[in-house]
Amino acid sequence: MAGENISVVKVHDVLLVTVPSEPDDETVSVLQDEVLNAMKRYEPKGVVLDISTVETMDSFFARTIAETGAMVRLMGGHTIIAGMKASIAITVTQLGLGLGNTYSALNVEQALEIFEEKVKGS
Amino acid sequence: MEELKQEGQIKISEEIDIVTVRKAVRQLSSQVGFSQTDVTRIVTAASELARNIYHYAGHGVMKWRLVSENNDTGIELIFEDSGPGIEDIEKAMDMGYTTGGGLGMGLPGAKRLMDRLNIQSEPGKGTTVTISKWLQGSMHAM
Repeated sequence: MAGENISVVKVHDVLLVTVPSEPDDETVSVLQDEVLNAMKRYEPKGVVLDISTVETMDSFFARTIAETGAMVRLMGGHTIIAGMKASIAITVTQLGLGLGNTYSALNVEQALEIFEEKVKGS
Repeated sequence: MEELKQEGQIKISEEIDIVTVRKAVRQLSSQVGFSQTDVTRIVTAASELARNIYHYAGHGVMKWRLVSENNDTGIELIFEDSGPGIEDIEKAMDMGYTTGGGLGMGLPGAKRLMDRLNIQSEPGKGTTVTISKWLQGSMHAM
């Protein structure tokens, strides 16, 4: 079933989204919908996408994440991609892809710290 | 001379089959002994080509086999469909060129991630894309 492994939790002022390790295309699309709906519902500062268990990121997946980041930005939030594996970073770069209008962090903890600094700084 | 060691195939007709292909290729290439990074490269290339079949042809098949050449072991994946075919293969290999609303990264991306990529296609008849990767890598590139 698509969407079963996606978890979207509000932590303080941030949406913490856990991405399943090997999502099919439909799950990736559902993820985008859920993030945008939660942006509207909770009005957070932004989104942390925890991709630390993701095993494969092909062009469809990367594009959807970049798009989601752009959409979240239009709604007034920021997106931080957290925990990308080295093998994924290598593959995505060699594919010629980027993640668009998103920030990145080594892990969820660092991502949350970045949001805290942003709040203090603003 | 290529010595056939093991082979199999996976049908691609639904979107979820793209994931099935990824899982099978991951297991296979891990067993062959590829590094984590190479496994990810192979799985990602397979995902791009499986999606191409699903989107452009509707259905097709991925055949796989383990190959050996010059004391090296490799994995060969053959993506076959009888879909619309590719009008201009050279253009299809250009980064960003697409006829299907995608990113145009699939074929050129797969080529970058693998040691070899070969396309045979005839408009109206179908497309066969063969990719391979070898444990010792670049000596096989062409």
